[in-house]
Amino acid sequence: MAISLRDLSVDYTLPQGTAHALRGVSLDIRKGQMLGLVGESGSGKSTVAFALMGLLANNARVTSGTATIEGRSFDLTKRNATADLRGRGMAMIFQDPMLSLNPVFTIGTQLCEVLRRRAPGSDRKTRVAMAQDALAKVKLSNPQRRMNQYPHELSGGMRQRVVIAMALLSEPALLIADEPTTALDVTVEAQIMREIIGLRDRIGCAVLLITHSLGLVTEYCDAISVLYAGEKLESGTVKEVQRQPGHPYTRMLFDCEVPIDCERHADASENRFTVIAGELPDPRQRPPGCIFNGRCDVSFEDCAVIDPGDYPIGNHAGHSARCLRLQTP
Amino acid sequence: MSRSQRTAAFIAGRLASVVLTIAGATLLLFLMVRLVPGDFTSVMLGPRATPELRAQITHDMGLDRSMLEQLWLFTSRAATGDFGEDVVSHRPILDIVLDVIPNTLALAFSALALALVVGIPIGVIAALRPGSWLDNGLALLSISLITTPTLVVSVILFLIFAIGLHWLPVAGAGDPGDLVDRLRHLILPSVALALGWVGYISRLVRAALLDTLAELHVRTLRAYGVSEYRIVGLYALKLALVPVVSILGIGLGDLIGSSVVVEIIFARPGIGSLIFNSIAQRNFPVVQACVVFIVAFYIVANLVVDMINALLDPRIAAGRG
Ligand SMILES: Nc1ncnc2c1ncn2[C@@H]1O[C@H](COP(=O)(O)OP(=O)(O)O)[C@@H](O)[C@H]1O
Ligand SMILES: [Mg+2]
Repeated sequence: MAISLRDLSVDYTLPQGTAHALRGVSLDIRKGQMLGLVGESGSGKSTVAFALMGLLANNARVTSGTATIEGRSFDLTKRNATADLRGRGMAMIFQDPMLSLNPVFTIGTQLCEVLRRRAPGSDRKTRVAMAQDALAKVKLSNPQRRMNQYPHELSGGMRQRVVIAMALLSEPALLIADEPTTALDVTVEAQIMREIIGLRDRIGCAVLLITHSLGLVTEYCDAISVLYAGEKLESGTVKEVQRQPGHPYTRMLFDCEVPIDCERHADASENRFTVIAGELPDPRQRPPGCIFNGRCDVSFEDCAVIDPGDYPIGNHAGHSARCLRLQTP
Repeated sequence: MSRSQRTAAFIAGRLASVVLTIAGATLLLFLMVRLVPGDFTSVMLGPRATPELRAQITHDMGLDRSMLEQLWLFTSRAATGDFGEDVVSHRPILDIVLDVIPNTLALAFSALALALVVGIPIGVIAALRPGSWLDNGLALLSISLITTPTLVVSVILFLIFAIGLHWLPVAGAGDPGDLVDRLRHLILPSVALALGWVGYISRLVRAALLDTLAELHVRTLRAYGVSEYRIVGLYALKLALVPVVSILGIGLGDLIGSSVVVEIIFARPGIGSLIFNSIAQRNFPVVQACVVFIVAFYIVANLVVDMINALLDPRIAAGRG
């Protein structure tokens, strides 16, 4: 395992109380593989990403969690535990390419800034050449001219390529892509995904792809983890999970009963709660028993009382789900 | 259009608006000056004023003509740089004003430079650790500086450094041929003028920086391991300076206004003290000429401010700011 995350729990302190955004989330990603982390909006996907990066909001508190990245362990409860890895061992691509570059510095300046850390001691000329080369590698047209352009002169897709070039320059062991195509036109989605795959293959890094699109996961990912209200309900290879979903929630997702992609299926989200009765649990007050109990169509009495564990499914290593029905007596 | 063409069009547009604004402001001030109660002849001549003398001076100042005629004479002459002759000293008014303007410009710009050089770092330091004791201490300092009137600051500095310690000269602008002497005369007035602005600029920089630091592009830099010092002091600061510079443009009028106080206390020749004395004498033509220059200065300064902002933020020149 190149990357492993163990038992990550994150709280947000709010005036109305403490919201438990994540509870005991564990993930594993192999080198050169892509893990799709799926979940509805608000399920805690970005919180996982920022906890790993050490870039959580000031009101966040990591109450437990350890990350192992290329053999080194990091205690995530310490603020800035992974600060040393940023831009070296870890890189990130963001959801909003229109806002993720500084509007008053050129593309070239911002790319070269990344190299100050990754290639310390290199002179300006070398850095400019490396940056330009990275732009060419992510297939940005006319890289030489782009270097002197400002972000507002580029489209959203082009800006996302610039951030991918940043990631490429930092040669990370783990690349986190937090909904990299959500804000973009559907037509650019495939291109951006291709560049992310290209980057992974070039560097051989592990990729954590955060998305609420199951389509992207089944198309590009090797493994999948399903997040619901801050808990990981199921994980396994995409093939196994798709063939034999262990958790009712996963099954509903694949059956398209729960429109996970709210932005794109605005009309569908209207009747979302008529399809599945119940609401998302209050993050400040975790109900006893299974977190999905309120919306589950196959629950029984024990589900409201007993906390389910992660039970293995079939004889495939690594496929497990958090549902009492899978408990072997 | 290419980027340089857009920039050129932007500058041309701004210049056109400068010409219009100067013309409008001149007209306005021409009318306003004539609304000030009391007339020059009675104030200057006092009880000795004879009807003949009054008539003579009124005629010399052109005050016996119709308003429209006066306006035409004033604008047509002012456009060629002719502001007439001063009735008191019999010197061309333009010369009187041009004599004192360098003093005021030196004062205003040294004060502004001082305020920026001290105020920006204070704002940056405060924004690095918001809520820390250092931030709170700097806030207290800045607010004290802002709320202390220039008059009080001037008098205190004057009493301590000029009268008490004899470190610096008491009055005047210094020997015109002696640069060191002129600089020594500039120190106290420009510090007095700058202190309030140090506080003001540091608060502006801090607030603008904290706003900018909450933006998403800052998170990108952090994610790529850029040091907090480079993020705050370079990447966020350049963006945060845009609103600060804009407010400076508006505040320049206040700077000139405060320079009146400073010039009077330090008995410095300058446009502020010239206006003050001329108003006291109801010497309208001189006041008018001074105000034309101040308006022109204010407008040119704002033009410069816009240019600086267009340099700081390329979106402004592109018309998308
Ligand atoms: N800074 C914050 N303060 C309080 N609550 C937050 C904060 N950031 C996120 N949350 C809450 O934590 C939960 C998970 O958020 P997030 O990780 O952004 O979800 P996702 O990325 O899956 O949409 C949500 O309920 C959200 O409202
Ligand atoms: Mg998110």
